[in-house]
Amino acid sequence: MVKIYKSAFFLILCLIISTGIALAQYTVNGTVTDNRTGEPLIGASVLVRNTTRGTVTDLDGKFTIPFENNEAGTLTISSLGYLSQNFSVSPSNTQVDAQLQEDATNLEEVVVTGLASTVKRSNLANAVSSVSAKELTGTTTIQTTDGALYGKIAGATIRSNGGAPGGGLSIQLRGISSLMGASQPLIIVDGVYINNSFQRTGRATVTQAGASNQDDGANRLADLNPNDIESIEVLKGPSAAAIYGTRANAGVIIITTKRGAAGQTKVSLSQDIGFATPLRLMGVDDWSEEKINFFWPENRRPVELERFRQGVRIDYEDFFYNNTALLTNTRLNVSGGNDKTKFFVSGNITSEDGTVRNTGFDRYSIRANIDHALTDRIKLGVSSNYIQSNTDRGFTGNQNNTGASIGYNIAYVPNYFDLRPDESGIYPTNPYFGENPVAVTDHGINNSEVNRFIQAFNLDIDLLRTNTSFLRANVAGGLDFLQNSTMVYLPEFLQFQRGQANPGDVFLGRQESFNTNFQAALVYNWNLGKVNMNSQGGLVRLDFRNNALFNRGRGLVPGQTNLQQATIQEIVQQFDSQVQEAGIFLQQEANFDDKIVGTVGVRWDKSTLNGNPNQYYAFPRASLAVNVANFDFWNVGAINQLKPRIAYGETAGPVAFGNTFTPLSGANIGGLLGSVVGTQVGNTEILPETATELEFGVDMGFLNNRIGLEATYYIKSTQNNIQDLRLSPSTGVSVSPSNEAELQNKGIELGLTANVLDMSNFKWSTRILYWQNRINMTRLGIPVYTLGGFGPALGTFLYAEGFSPTTIVGTPADPEIPGGFTVWGNSQPKFNTSMFNSFTLYNNLEFSFLMEWRQGGDNINLTSFLTDSGGTTKGWFDDDTGDGIPNGRQRPPAPHNNAARWVQDASFVKVREVGLFYTVPRTRVLETFGGAVQNIRFGFSANNLFLFTDYEGYDPETSTFGAQSVANNVDIAPYPTPRRLFFHVNLDF
Amino acid sequence: MKKSLYHILYFISLGLIGFACNPLQLDEIEDPNNPSVQSVTNNASRSQIQFVLTGLESRHRGYVTNVSQAWNTFGREIWYLNASDPRFQTDWLGQGGRVPDRSYFGFGITGGGSYFAPFQAILQAQVLIDAARNTNSINEAERNAIEGFARMIQGYQFMIPANFVYENGIRIDVENALDPGPYVSYEEALDHVRSLLLQADQLFASAGTGEFPFTLTPGFNNFNSIPALRQVNNAILARANAYREDWQGILSALESSFMDLNGNLQSGPAHPYSGPPDLFNPLFYVPDADINTIIVVHPSVLDDATPGDNRVTEKFFERSQPVLVTTDAGTLQGTHQDGRWPNNTSPIPFIRNEELILLKAEAHAQLGQTSEAVEAINIIREAAGIGAYSGGTSQQALIDEILYQRRYSLWAEPWGHRWIDARRYDRMDDIPTSYDQGSIFRQFPHPQSEISWDQYVGD
Repeated sequence: MVKIYKSAFFLILCLIISTGIALAQYTVNGTVTDNRTGEPLIGASVLVRNTTRGTVTDLDGKFTIPFENNEAGTLTISSLGYLSQNFSVSPSNTQVDAQLQEDATNLEEVVVTGLASTVKRSNLANAVSSVSAKELTGTTTIQTTDGALYGKIAGATIRSNGGAPGGGLSIQLRGISSLMGASQPLIIVDGVYINNSFQRTGRATVTQAGASNQDDGANRLADLNPNDIESIEVLKGPSAAAIYGTRANAGVIIITTKRGAAGQTKVSLSQDIGFATPLRLMGVDDWSEEKINFFWPENRRPVELERFRQGVRIDYEDFFYNNTALLTNTRLNVSGGNDKTKFFVSGNITSEDGTVRNTGFDRYSIRANIDHALTDRIKLGVSSNYIQSNTDRGFTGNQNNTGASIGYNIAYVPNYFDLRPDESGIYPTNPYFGENPVAVTDHGINNSEVNRFIQAFNLDIDLLRTNTSFLRANVAGGLDFLQNSTMVYLPEFLQFQRGQANPGDVFLGRQESFNTNFQAALVYNWNLGKVNMNSQGGLVRLDFRNNALFNRGRGLVPGQTNLQQATIQEIVQQFDSQVQEAGIFLQQEANFDDKIVGTVGVRWDKSTLNGNPNQYYAFPRASLAVNVANFDFWNVGAINQLKPRIAYGETAGPVAFGNTFTPLSGANIGGLLGSVVGTQVGNTEILPETATELEFGVDMGFLNNRIGLEATYYIKSTQNNIQDLRLSPSTGVSVSPSNEAELQNKGIELGLTANVLDMSNFKWSTRILYWQNRINMTRLGIPVYTLGGFGPALGTFLYAEGFSPTTIVGTPADPEIPGGFTVWGNSQPKFNTSMFNSFTLYNNLEFSFLMEWRQGGDNINLTSFLTDSGGTTKGWFDDDTGDGIPNGRQRPPAPHNNAARWVQDASFVKVREVGLFYTVPRTRVLETFGGAVQNIRFGFSANNLFLFTDYEGYDPETSTFGAQSVANNVDIAPYPTPRRLFFHVNLDF
Repeated sequence: MKKSLYHILYFISLGLIGFACNPLQLDEIEDPNNPSVQSVTNNASRSQIQFVLTGLESRHRGYVTNVSQAWNTFGREIWYLNASDPRFQTDWLGQGGRVPDRSYFGFGITGGGSYFAPFQAILQAQVLIDAARNTNSINEAERNAIEGFARMIQGYQFMIPANFVYENGIRIDVENALDPGPYVSYEEALDHVRSLLLQADQLFASAGTGEFPFTLTPGFNNFNSIPALRQVNNAILARANAYREDWQGILSALESSFMDLNGNLQSGPAHPYSGPPDLFNPLFYVPDADINTIIVVHPSVLDDATPGDNRVTEKFFERSQPVLVTTDAGTLQGTHQDGRWPNNTSPIPFIRNEELILLKAEAHAQLGQTSEAVEAINIIREAAGIGAYSGGTSQQALIDEILYQRRYSLWAEPWGHRWIDARRYDRMDDIPTSYDQGSIFRQFPHPQSEISWDQYVGD
């Protein structure tokens, strides 16, 4: 065995050595500079077209490249952030003076398209969105990476579940691909399939809100330090993501972190100091004796009037939510290296309080990204990241009976009653609800501590290199280990706890997830006449393991949270899961002189989640892009890029773990353990959800790329969508997963980028994105049903053929509509548009802002329902109709008793990001610090500066059920969204 | 250099081979958390049968919370006050003209604890029977004991959905999950209950006379021998015969039941609750707790009480502060809470001697056997400390008296006796709505999932 390998490697070695032998016939010299500043470009790449030969420029921007024969050739000179240019060379033309132009429209950007290859944006046949580090974090500091993507990706509906610190966002790309789960994209960081789940915390159990989707937990992308990110690529649908196979139905987000560059070691220290206040509060209603006499029943009035006359007035919304939170962020980056070894090391401390007392988010992250060339032909890259996140999210949102939600509770508390503790620290009993929310805020704990390690590796081996071809092996993979310790604690002296048989409640969770992935690929680049061919093939292996254990203790020794200090000790849940997947892929790209670029590929995947774990499912793709402006006949000077493109691809969405099982669950009773038949009949023939997408569009560049336009239309159709087939409940089982449904998403994405002004002392660039998506249930396959929210009386969602599942229906009955209820709204926005502007004055002062406008899309606003019930909605006692019935008891539409009362338009305009930065002129820095400091930059910024909306809530973006495919717009007493203002200082040494 | 390159490549390839002989090979992954249903239906061991049997006891109590809260509200034995969700008041009391629909609040699309949960118990019993029939690890007598127990529970549980949807009828052929039978009338459903209980009786008869061969929970303390279980089975049959208006059948079933005219009225099998990992008694609330989610005694029960009735003092705990819940339909105030449970691990009986004696009274009254009826009534009255019956002895008067005594003797038991009694005697109008401006439901429609299933197979 070993012998075979030995021989193979000797063979490869011989090939490698033999290819280097050749004789130079002429030599080309040249310089590469920035066309505006004239400064030399270091490290620019110089490649001989249609060969594998090339070099890079030195510290003076100079290069030399030998030619082995006397034939003429073409040099392609490129540098990151610049447009590449071609130069003809021949024995009589050996001098090149390349002045490269800045790439305002990112045409040169390299985009990941295969599992082991990349393509230049100008040759791309898909609408892949890219977000650079500058776009992501250059304007302001945002807590989480997903939060920093708002308004930067056409086709992405990003939705915050609430304002609690530590994240909690949902991203849906091109509508909904799955009816189950949340239809969230696959996230890959430096090649590692990371865990982005919303993990259980137990908050919803302890507060009795309901299932864990009402925990208001964070999604674990929150652990990644956004400032470590170099770029994010978003493959929005199957046509672009087909090569990712089984997990790509909802798109793929590929995150690449920063890496070191050869040269002087750079040390960069950044400090942000800021504060947060609520973006919007609604106010609470004042009371009068007249209102008290109206609101309270007769036997209750005397006591209420007496309380009212004592004269205390407290705006509880203001009391609980309107605090100023301190935000600090410290970042230290060290990067550098030489030809062989490059490194990027970063450390980050984020310490951000929440606007509700005793809430906050702390994140400690350290990263080391090392690249090392073992030989000329073997390059190894590793990326290591350890993170600790500590999140206190407090008690907001839904609850039942326990009163452990600020907003739910104070909806019922009139402003004339004082809930605050007296001088001796005793909290008054809340006569209006089952708990004193001040005590819960002061003493309750809802904490999650994550310890996480993400390790990636990437090994590139040049196996074979000839004049016109090379063969490369790529082996890559990594692991993501995540441990989440959660604690929800309500101490024994709280009002509700005192009313329990075993006062004091602690809920402790330990969750571990361990993902590993591995891929091996061979990439062969060769030429077929004038066509450059890139062939690749390989295999992929994925393993996912999750373990969760939740314990609860009730009847606690005062002040104790150890389970052994509990009278009642309970294992609430233990849940383990294991998934294995494997795939094979082949892809062929053909590039005819950057004029016509085509790709075909296929991936075959199998998964232990499927009914048949050994069945391979094939996911083909094909795409074609034609760079019309690169043809010789093109002579429209004003249009320098015209690229019609079309792409088709297929992907799948995984089956949920357990869909194939018909389990006997454990049930304890009277000191014995029973095995009970569950509610599900497993489907051992379940298929993955599959999607096909046809996407076409055109990319155009005008006036030498000063203006870029990208227009895309897509039709994404999903089949075998999984939903629960409802069985006859008489049979003692209620559901069986089925593959019946089909969905269609159609949409438009437009992007316009322009360098409006480009003068030596003033630059103005702008980017406008527009996107819209329309969902239609093209096949339901099972009887019409409603699901989600809190039932038809408060607004629910309709699953029926010909309707979008985002359709909100509710009482009263309407027999004309399938499902029998009246249609009151739709949570899907009509369109989204965003605008980013950046102004630079004298190269030193930079002002930028990002706005987003989401039009349409309705919410189910049950916060209004609660405050109306408690008489605390601002303006409750006003009487717009003048009929003697106050507004709070008469919400439109008539007859004031249907679900439409709580369905509200959630359109909004948000000023997401604003930044003003000043870079101290370099000469000044050198004068002052004499080289000890290289660069000083400081500035002010804001996140969520303004919100304009008619919606009657803290934020039109809210979801009490967390990330959901459909029911992600129900508003129940959320944590108000903060407005964040920062001062920044950045020093480079 | 060459050498180190060689070594590196060598180790990488070794690593690749070591990673997995074949990275495309997937392991077979079984449910790491639970055994499968199939694991017990063929050649089950004794311990597997024991686990499925205990599972049946667990499913057997699945209805308790929902039926206790809802049906007792429908019959205005209680109010389930819940400040966090006004629909427990507005919807369950039928305020504002609300009438039950196919996915009514509190019952979902499956009918929840009032419909789906009993059918879960029926399925569980069937799986137990299948397990017992398809194994050699138990003998014939044991098999009969197991199957008798399973049939008894099935008989009991079928009465719950039958009473919930009443005239809409239920399915009784439910053994095939993908091919359930048609709906049958209430009468036919109760005949099916009787037939199951008679089967159980026969099976117990061929199961010996010793202890039940497997372990039952403490809920069956004093009832865990084969003869005692047979008596429980006949007690259930007596209740079913009352709904079947088979008055003679009641008396004969009672003959073979655990009815004891001189015995403890509380005696009877129960659903146990022992706290985690088991459940807590779902009807227990800490006396006088400052909470706003609680079962309270309906004011009409207090208003109609006979002075000196021990049942009032024993069952109703007067709070120092009433519980008050306001909804947009008005305010409800509860002055008394449920005082029956000493603590949150008290078992909840599901059929008691007291009910059997009342059934005896009712059967005799219906058969015109006045003195026997009065005799039985007096056992109840004496125990309650309100003296012997002195009212009229017409059948109407006796039935009035029996129904009145049932209100207090069987108050808020996990069955909704008053709601069912008022319906079977066509006295729904007697249930007061003046305290809450609600309305009294007669029955529920089939839950949405049933309709959906019929549509699905009809398509």
